[in-house]
Amino acid sequence: MDLSLSPALREFQDEVRTWFAEHLVGEFARHRGVGFSWDDAAWDVRVAWDRELSAGGWLCLGWPKEYGGRDASIDEQLIFQLEYARANPPYRATASGQDLLGPTLLAFGSPGQKSRFLPRIVSVEDFWGQGFSEPGAGSDLAGLRTRAYRDGDEWVIDGQKVWTSVGARANWMYVLCRTDPDAPRHRGLSLLMVPVDQPGVDVRPIRNIVGGAEFCEVFYTGARTPADMVIGPVNQGWQVAMGTLGTERGTTLLAEHLRTKREVDEMIEAARAGRRTHQPVLRRDLAQAWSDARIMEWNALRLMTAIKGQGIDPIVQASISKVFASEAHIRMGETAMRAEGATSELVGAGYELDRLQQVFLASRAESIYGGTTQIQLNVLGERTLGLPREPRPS
Amino acid sequence: MQTAELEEIVSSVRRFVREAVVPLEAQIDETDDFPPEVVKQAKEMGLYGFAIPEAYGGLGLSAWEEVQLVFELGYTTPAFRSLFGTNNGIAGHTLLEGGTEQQKQTYLPKLASGEWVASFGLTEPEAGSDPASLQTTAVRDGADWVIDGSKRYITNAPVADVFMIFARTSPDVPASRGVSVFMVARDAPGLSVGPRDHKMGQAGAWTADVYLDHVRVPHHAMVGEQEGAGYVTAMKSLAHGRLHIAALCVGMAQRLVKESVDYARGREQGGQPIAGFQLIQAMLADSQTDTMAARALVLDAAQRFDDGTDRKLGPATSKYFASEAVGRVADRAVQIHGGAGYMRGIAAERFYRDARLFRIYEGTSQIQQLVIARQLINASRSEEG
Repeated sequence: MDLSLSPALREFQDEVRTWFAEHLVGEFARHRGVGFSWDDAAWDVRVAWDRELSAGGWLCLGWPKEYGGRDASIDEQLIFQLEYARANPPYRATASGQDLLGPTLLAFGSPGQKSRFLPRIVSVEDFWGQGFSEPGAGSDLAGLRTRAYRDGDEWVIDGQKVWTSVGARANWMYVLCRTDPDAPRHRGLSLLMVPVDQPGVDVRPIRNIVGGAEFCEVFYTGARTPADMVIGPVNQGWQVAMGTLGTERGTTLLAEHLRTKREVDEMIEAARAGRRTHQPVLRRDLAQAWSDARIMEWNALRLMTAIKGQGIDPIVQASISKVFASEAHIRMGETAMRAEGATSELVGAGYELDRLQQVFLASRAESIYGGTTQIQLNVLGERTLGLPREPRPS
Repeated sequence: MQTAELEEIVSSVRRFVREAVVPLEAQIDETDDFPPEVVKQAKEMGLYGFAIPEAYGGLGLSAWEEVQLVFELGYTTPAFRSLFGTNNGIAGHTLLEGGTEQQKQTYLPKLASGEWVASFGLTEPEAGSDPASLQTTAVRDGADWVIDGSKRYITNAPVADVFMIFARTSPDVPASRGVSVFMVARDAPGLSVGPRDHKMGQAGAWTADVYLDHVRVPHHAMVGEQEGAGYVTAMKSLAHGRLHIAALCVGMAQRLVKESVDYARGREQGGQPIAGFQLIQAMLADSQTDTMAARALVLDAAQRFDDGTDRKLGPATSKYFASEAVGRVADRAVQIHGGAGYMRGIAAERFYRDARLFRIYEGTSQIQQLVIARQLINASRSEEG
C-alpha cells in the first residue's frame, strides 16, 4: 500500500501526535501498554483513559458524527492506529463495545438501536460483554444451545455462555441465541442485547492460565430483554454475528500486531540484562521474533488495504493474519522465556507476572480464541482454495 | 532385581499415583502444598530411596528399572516426584558417587527412608547450568572449612534437613579440580533459607534460596573427604538426574496424550466428536509419536547407563529430547482442549505451566545441546588420535 501521506493526512497525523503528547501524561503515562482486551489490570485508570480519548474525539473515529464519531476516512483511522501503537497508551477498557458491538450495530442495527446505544459507547457509559461461545460450542458457534423465546413484548433467555471477556465489568451483553429450534444449525439464531442487572443473569469469573479471572461464564435463567433488542432480523443472527467476527479479526488486529514490535524490544532488553546476547541460538530466535513482528505489521497493513477494497477479500486476509500472528506470537513467548533465563519461572506473590511472562502464557490463547488455527486453516482450504470439504469420519 | 519384582513395584506405584495423587492435583496446584498423608505413604512405599542401593536401605533400582518407575511418577503433578526426587536423585547421588564408605553408611539410609530430606546446592545466581562459574567459597581454617555464598532455586530447601553445598576450595585451578562438596545440616549456624519461590508452574514443589554466611563445617563433612572432587561428583549426579527428568517428561507426555484423546472423544462440534477431525488427529498422532520416541530413547539410554558404555551422551540427548517433546505435547493438549485448555482447573492448562521448567533445570536445553555436540567432537578427535 502507498504509505506516503498527503498534506491533509500529514496535518491529521500532527494533530494526533500533539494530542498524545499533551494528554498521555501523569497516571496514563505511568500505565503505558497496561491491560488487554481480556485483562482488567488497572481498570479504573483505563476507563479514565477511554474517557480522555472520548473527550478528545478519538474513540470510534470512523463512526458517523451523529453517533459521536468523526466520520474519519480509513486512511485517517490507519494513521490513528499507527500513532496509537507508537504512543503505547493503556489498553482501552471498553474496546469490546467500540470494536465489536458498535460496528455490528452500525451494519445491522435499527435506527433506534443506533441512536440509543452508539453514543453511550463513545461516551464510555456502557460496558459490553460478548455472549457467543458456550461450553459445547466454541469455534463451532453454530452448535450453540442457549435458547430464547418470545413472551409477550419480551424475549426470555435460558442457557450458558462462556469466555466472556471482562464479563464482570459489563452492564450489557450481546448474546447469540437459538430462537427457532427447528431450523438447521446456522439458521434460527438471533443476536439479542440483554441488560445484566436482573435476577436472570449470573456472571461468574473463571481463572485462566495467567491467574486472572477476567474471563467469565454467564448463566441466563429466564433472563428477559425487550422484543426490540434483537440486532438485525430475527433468526438471521448467524450472519450478524459473523459480521462481528470479521470486524474483530480485522481492525483490532492492527493495534495488537504493533504491540508485538515493542515486546521484541523488551525481549532483547531482557537478553542484554541477563548477559545472554552472545548465545547464538537465542540471537537467531530473537532475529526470528523481530522478523515475525514485521510480517505481522505488514499483514495488518495488507488488511487495511483489503478493507479499503484494494486487494483480496478482507475476511481472507484477516484469517491469514490471524493464523500467522497467533502462531508466531506463541513462538515469541517461548523465546521471551529464554531471553529472561531461569528467572522466567519465578512469579510474584499472587501470581503476578512480568510483561514477558504474560506474553508467554497469554499468547497461548491466541491460536484458540476467535476461531482456532485448525478452523481457520479449514476455512481457508475449503472456501478460499476451493479444496474438497473434510471427509466426515465414519 | 527380578522382572516380576520390578513389575510389582511399578504397578503398585501406578495404582497409588492414579488413585491417591491424581485426585489431589487441583488442590495441590491451588494451595502450593502437599497433603502430609501422601508424604507419609510415599515414605512407606520406599519412594524416598528407590535409586539408593539396597545395602544403604534403598530399593536399589538400576537406571533402566528406575526410569520405568519414574514414567509412572510423571503421570501426575511433578510436585509428587519432587518430594523425594532430590533424595534419590542429585542429592542422594552426590553421596553415592562421591561419599566415603562411612559417609554412605551413615547418611544414605536416612535419605532412603525419608527420615531426612536432602537438597542439592549447586545453582547460584551467577551459575545456573554451568558449575564452572561458582562463586561460593570454602576456606580451610584448621580442622574446619568456612563456607560463604548463596544458592538459588534449591529444590526442597524449605524442608531439607541436609544440603549438599558445592563450593570453590581452590580458586586458582580449573573448576574440574577446584570445587568440593560439603554436607551442611540445616541447623548449622550461618545457614539460612529464603522465602519459598513463587513459580509459574509445579506448585507444591518447593524451591528457595539458601544463604551461607561463615558456615563452619568439620573436614569430615566434605563428601569423599577429598578436596577438588566436587565437580566430577556433580557431573555424575547430574547425568543420572538427567535420565530421571527425561523419564518424568515421558510420564507427563503419556498423561497429556490420554487427556487429549479423552477430551477429543468427548467434545462434540457440528454433531460429532472433534476426534473425528483430521487436524485434531494429526495433533494426537504427533504427540503420541513424540511420546513413544522419548520413551524409547530414555529406555535405551538407561540401558547404556547401566552397562557403563555411555553415561553422558545418552542422558543429555534423553533429557533434551524428552523435555522439548513434552513441551510440544502440552502445547497440543491445550490446543485440542480449546478455550477450556486455557483455564485453571483443567489438567492440560496446569501441565502446560508445569512442563516449562523441564527445559531449564538439570541443565537447560541449550546446555544439553552443547554437551551433546562436545561429546561428538571430542569422540571424533580422539578417534583421529
